[in-house]
Amino acid sequence: MIDYHALAPELLLAGTVLAVLTVDLLRVEKYWVAVVGLFGLFLSFIPVLTLGFCDTLTFCEDTGTRFLFGESYAVDSFSLVLKALFLGSAFVAVLLSVGYLESDRFWQGEFYFLMLSSVLGAVVMASSRDLVTIFVALELVTGPTFLMAGWRKGDPRSNEAMLKFFIIGVLSAALLLFGMSLVYGTTGELTFAGIRAEAAGIRGGDLEALFTVGVLFTLLGFAFKVSAVPFHFWTPDTYEGSPTPVTAYLSVVSKTAGFVGLLAICYLAFRDATFLWGPALWVLAAASMTVGNLAALRQTNIVRLLGYSSIAQGGFILVPFGAAVAAGVTDVQLEEAFFATVTYLLIYAFMNLGAFAVIIAGGNRLRSAEIGDWAGMFGYAPGLATMLAVFFFSLAGIPPLAGWFAKFVMFRAVLSVGGGWAAALAIIAAVNSVIAFVYYAKVVKSAFMDPAPEHVAVADLARMPTVPSLQFALVLTVAGVIVLGIFPGIIAEIGELTKTFASGF
Amino acid sequence: MLDQYFGDYITVAAFIAVGALLVGGGMFASSLLRPDKPTKVKSETYECGIDPVGGGWSQSHIRYYIFALLFLIFDVEAVFIFPWAVRIEDFAAAGLGGFIFVEMVIFIVILLLGLVYAIRKGVLRWE
Repeated sequence: MIDYHALAPELLLAGTVLAVLTVDLLRVEKYWVAVVGLFGLFLSFIPVLTLGFCDTLTFCEDTGTRFLFGESYAVDSFSLVLKALFLGSAFVAVLLSVGYLESDRFWQGEFYFLMLSSVLGAVVMASSRDLVTIFVALELVTGPTFLMAGWRKGDPRSNEAMLKFFIIGVLSAALLLFGMSLVYGTTGELTFAGIRAEAAGIRGGDLEALFTVGVLFTLLGFAFKVSAVPFHFWTPDTYEGSPTPVTAYLSVVSKTAGFVGLLAICYLAFRDATFLWGPALWVLAAASMTVGNLAALRQTNIVRLLGYSSIAQGGFILVPFGAAVAAGVTDVQLEEAFFATVTYLLIYAFMNLGAFAVIIAGGNRLRSAEIGDWAGMFGYAPGLATMLAVFFFSLAGIPPLAGWFAKFVMFRAVLSVGGGWAAALAIIAAVNSVIAFVYYAKVVKSAFMDPAPEHVAVADLARMPTVPSLQFALVLTVAGVIVLGIFPGIIAEIGELTKTFASGF
Repeated sequence: MLDQYFGDYITVAAFIAVGALLVGGGMFASSLLRPDKPTKVKSETYECGIDPVGGGWSQSHIRYYIFALLFLIFDVEAVFIFPWAVRIEDFAAAGLGGFIFVEMVIFIVILLLGLVYAIRKGVLRWE
């Protein structure tokens, strides 16, 4: 029979998706739709906890990793940690959307319906252990976000954002499917465990070339999703044109879902092919960090700046993958690299959502995303300016904010591998960390030290309140960034749990 | 193995060639045999035997599109229900009757919710 406890988060979330649609049809105030959505996200979080702490609960039968539907769907500590991350980030993303959607004539009910469907895809993604499930999950994550990117129907920029995102999204899906079809064709297996077993026999055979192409195209499909350079061209335009809460969602949940798929495929299916994906992802990591950071230096729009910054952060997240470039990389070193990526993803979610929360709060007041208009913010909104500094310094990796620990484990993973290539990647990452600090600090300096521009009505802005839902989101993310920065042991503990995944099962 | 893989495409190519030859050959043979007397009436668009009215690029109302979509959804629903209805007795015999029934109820309820949504949003109103 089906293990309903293991599937409970997905089932509850699917129920929430339908409930949100139903509430939208009732003649009630539209914010109830968001309330139901938030409640549903909270509800689906409970089974994640009961599954995670199964060994200490009396009613729960501890069976270790739970496999469902053959070997296609696994509920283990890795997937549970990532599910918790997705549900938590979605909670914040919904909070960010509430005030924004109420500020104009938007289709609120449908928005939450689409966002929660996309979250459902991300939650499924964390458990997918075969090519078909992972593809369906990825499309479920991406499909609704196409529509969300174009939510401001009357705005040509929003339409441009949607169209670019859609075309690139479809292209990457096609490339991914092509790669997957070659992998399936050469190995004859769909599950990751099966592919890994078969891949060993392919090496040196006459199918090796075809298998290599399959692996590379699969990576390519994911590279688009995580907007790694040189597949990043859609990112700044889509981020700038989309409604800002959607940008926050895209840069955290959708991007993390892409990384989770990449982790599962690389560390499970192509585990014995590190000589293929190691060098490929080395190049992507180095290029993403360098191009993302250098382009961010020149930005005058704060959302675009965060767009390029998220490309660069994606590069940092790819660095531990790239470390596998060294020949004869051991299981322990791969576990360390895996741990580093998961830890970075967890911390990145907090700081990037927080940064976007500040930008939405500031944007609500200023009606502008130009960095020049943000000057002097400390004078009229000291709280907001301080939070801006917290999140931007965290993104730059300054202790005691959480970002430093993410960078620390990333460097530790690369250096533990050792060798020329890994060291070179570490040096590139170090140089880029310094470059990144320049543009993060520039915004903070402008907000704290420069005088406010003349056309900004400082007295009016000082009186403007921040929407309660936004305040809640800011408190959550600030608390996360500071607590995790001072006590990185918490996140290390969680990351440690997922390591068993990397050692295979 | 790879040679055989690409070799299989020769079969596909042969089928395409034979197909083209059959159609082309048939047309060619009939053009040799039949009398050729084109008139204006003969070259007009064929519309079920009645005289064609208007051009080929006539516009149809955008609302038909929504109706077509809704129709398609329930069409697909029927496709799903059909095999279910055929097999339900076997499942009932295996003691899974209640389970399989509830599954289909969930499926239909979700689709009905879609229909209710369409009605509430005024999609089916013709104005």
